[in-house]
Amino acid sequence: MTSLRTEIASRPAIVALRRGWLHVVLVPLALLWLSPLVWILVTSLKARTEVFDPAAGFWPQVLRWENYPAALSVAPFGTYLVNSILVTGGILAAQLVTITLAAYAFARLTFPGKNLLFTLFLLQIMFPIYATFLTNFVTVRELGLLNSLPAMIVPFVASGYGTFMLRQAFRQVPTELADAARLDGCGHVGILWHVYLPLVKPTLIAFGIITVVTHWNDYMWPLLVTNSEAVRTLPIGLGLLAKSDSGADWTRLMAATVVVVSPLLVLFVVFQRRFVDSFMHAGLK
Amino acid sequence: MADVVLQGVSKAYAGRPTVHAVDLTVADKEFMVLVGPSGCGKSTTLRMIAGLEDITSGRLLIDGADVTHAQPQKRDIAMVFQSYALYPHMTAYRNMAFGLLKTTRLGKVEVDRRIREAAEILHISHLLERRPNELSGGERQRVAIGRALVRQPKVFLFDEPLSNLDAKLRSRMRGELKRLHSELGLTVIYVTHDQIEAMTLGSRVAILSEGRLQQVGAPMELYMRPANTFVATFIGTPEMSLLRCAVKPEGEGSLVQHERFSATLPMRAGHADAFLGVRPEEVRVSRPGEGLTRGIVERTELIGAEALAEILIGTDRVVARMPVPEAPDSGAEVSVFFDLARARLFDAATGRALPAA
Amino acid sequence: MPFGAPFQVRLREAGLAYLLLLPSLVFLAAFTYWPILRSVWFSFHDVVLGDSRIIWLGLENYQRLWDDRLFWKALGNTVFYTVITIPVAIVCALLMAVALDSKLRGMAIYRSAFFYPVMIPSVAAGMVWVFLYSAGYGPINQGLRLIGLPDTAWLYDSSWALPAIMVMSVWKYSGYFMLILLAALKLVPSDLYEAARLDGVSAFDRLIHITLPLISPTLYFVAIIGLLHSYQIFDYVYVMTHGGPADATNVLTFYIYQNGFQYQDIGYASTLANVLLLFVGGLIAVMATVFGRRVHYLGR
Repeated sequence: MTSLRTEIASRPAIVALRRGWLHVVLVPLALLWLSPLVWILVTSLKARTEVFDPAAGFWPQVLRWENYPAALSVAPFGTYLVNSILVTGGILAAQLVTITLAAYAFARLTFPGKNLLFTLFLLQIMFPIYATFLTNFVTVRELGLLNSLPAMIVPFVASGYGTFMLRQAFRQVPTELADAARLDGCGHVGILWHVYLPLVKPTLIAFGIITVVTHWNDYMWPLLVTNSEAVRTLPIGLGLLAKSDSGADWTRLMAATVVVVSPLLVLFVVFQRRFVDSFMHAGLK
Repeated sequence: MADVVLQGVSKAYAGRPTVHAVDLTVADKEFMVLVGPSGCGKSTTLRMIAGLEDITSGRLLIDGADVTHAQPQKRDIAMVFQSYALYPHMTAYRNMAFGLLKTTRLGKVEVDRRIREAAEILHISHLLERRPNELSGGERQRVAIGRALVRQPKVFLFDEPLSNLDAKLRSRMRGELKRLHSELGLTVIYVTHDQIEAMTLGSRVAILSEGRLQQVGAPMELYMRPANTFVATFIGTPEMSLLRCAVKPEGEGSLVQHERFSATLPMRAGHADAFLGVRPEEVRVSRPGEGLTRGIVERTELIGAEALAEILIGTDRVVARMPVPEAPDSGAEVSVFFDLARARLFDAATGRALPAA
Repeated sequence: MPFGAPFQVRLREAGLAYLLLLPSLVFLAAFTYWPILRSVWFSFHDVVLGDSRIIWLGLENYQRLWDDRLFWKALGNTVFYTVITIPVAIVCALLMAVALDSKLRGMAIYRSAFFYPVMIPSVAAGMVWVFLYSAGYGPINQGLRLIGLPDTAWLYDSSWALPAIMVMSVWKYSGYFMLILLAALKLVPSDLYEAARLDGVSAFDRLIHITLPLISPTLYFVAIIGLLHSYQIFDYVYVMTHGGPADATNVLTFYIYQNGFQYQDIGYASTLANVLLLFVGGLIAVMATVFGRRVHYLGR
């Protein structure tokens, strides 16, 4: 044992070399991964002709910030932004309520049919809206919700995934704490509010981040159920812009892309740890 | 006045009984310890008293009121848990205030007064603004007791509160609990698996095994006059030795016939197959030649102030306790005496003490 | 009534449980179970979007599906996309995770560099890659020209369009899988590696014989996540190729969309949707039976 320790300790050069070798592989790979983002940024600041000119070089000759106001004036991005916030916020608020209630029932109550119902909840993870969009569209249409903000919210109010995640977290809370709370005069609601929810805050935040990322970026369902400017979200607006420009004006399109992707990316950079931890542990517990 | 009365209290999980018709009366200001090996139903019994488990059948009275089916917060009890169960997201102060604010209509001033007072008694006044993860095990324990104290309940329930502490701290907290009980005049029901804790703390001790109450009594009463072989061997370390023998009446007493010796005991026990029970300190060992019988020393252990010797008498083993200088060597043949005035008999078939009370 | 009170307690608890589940169940019923049942029902009928009449067809839709060359092509594309993209992305993710599972300088930067594509909306990602892939001025073709390779109109070439989308998918999801695998790697007890090192086991063998078996539950979990994310291929097909060229990138979800929304043929689209449900359900069942039983659980 000691001989191995000294052997390892006496070879810092080899360790450093191995680390160095890792960087040799990782740096190009990271650059490769970052390159689309770089191209978005660079292209958004170029002149239109520069994009199509193979001889123009990588960097723009002049930084054309005017691409941004130009992009934003093509479509009502302010409305899109408000809609995105309302839809994402609405889904998040509704989900936090439904999953908290359901997860508590699954984690701490005994009732007939518990396993069957839990399986039914998990079924939603397997068959998300991407699998059932067709008949869901028919339903939403019958409900008269087409082309409205609620149409983009209601299919996501219940979350099998969130219920699962939160149930796991609730089960980590020692039962003695719930017992203590009962003796302290709490009913189920009191226990949930005063003991369980404060203790699973990290899980709630993790779930919240994942939900926000998912629905902020969602494309297919909003695309299907909206057809007017008043209710479109940012990704839909961006898609429309791409279609109308059909590749003719990449600079404007990339400027709009920067606008659409930056809220989340900025949040990601600022709260990097939180985001990473959320996605890292989302499914592991 | 706050006595607790259990009348035939039973618990069954999915039809399987785990606690069988326990009858127990805990008097006001009494320190009652429920003790038994793990799985004997002592914690379940305590949780039924607390209202955390429902009572399958039987009645529970606290201070004369039937609370068999009352919600926990309506029973006027407080409980200290094994893991302390302090709310991790609240300070020690908030932990103590939480239940008080929830269950009573006390004003902020009175709540604060009670918390300060309890903190004073428990020497945790300087810890009130800390959260549980900033406290040591012993400090958490004190906060947990404080949380119960401020409620000023009729009955205090303790569920193995010392088992998460190290040995030194445990004995200190034992003394502390004893002090609190006598100074404040609390009614306590205390669950533990540790018989030493039971003997040192309890004004009375109730022994449970396999969901049944075996015996209730003052610690020394249990030690000296165990009701059956379970109690006899559970209380006391090393445990009481049991020697198989036949008993028949002789004059005013009984004649005990072991495979290697016979002796007369000053009590009437009728005819029976029985066990003769002797505690280690009731066994005396000397050079061969004298004594009641002879045995071979199988093993001696020197444990500091005294020595223990395991002696084979026929097919039975007895343990003897003696001062270290008197300890025989392993393999030696020795004479053995028993303090027959204190020895007890148990029916071999039922395990019950003879003569039946 | 010796059993009266506990029974009532249990009844109250069950009642409360159902009450708590109710909000979720209402929405799950309306937007998960009902659509699935309905799509089975629709598949036996002739249903036209916006027309309230429903005509019983029996198995006619399924007969049509069997004879539909385009359906088989879309199914083939879906299978191809799924069974290639997920393993490739997982292998990429695993290599990234293993490389980053040490106290490397700049670890946070690498991690973010690999992970950020997850944050980008699929529509934006698709668009950017349309630009990257474009013929002539597209950066990828410009790069290839530098090393003397001919131009390819990636998204307009029927043999390259689907692989091009797959490459983009690997770029988008590897970072996510990497993050989950990284969390699992951190849980592998280091004394296992030290023991293996004492036994003279090489780094590669340590990866194969210690790391992989121990994180196999996570690999399995990542494979499931990957499968569920592969639904999103609709976004990329819709944005990048619209199913073309010559249906080379037409996948089940997109074909359902075409039939349901462009041709308004809800009955036939439902039939296709059922196939999609069976495909995903079946794949998960296969993964569960093949891998689910063989995974090693770390102390759990």
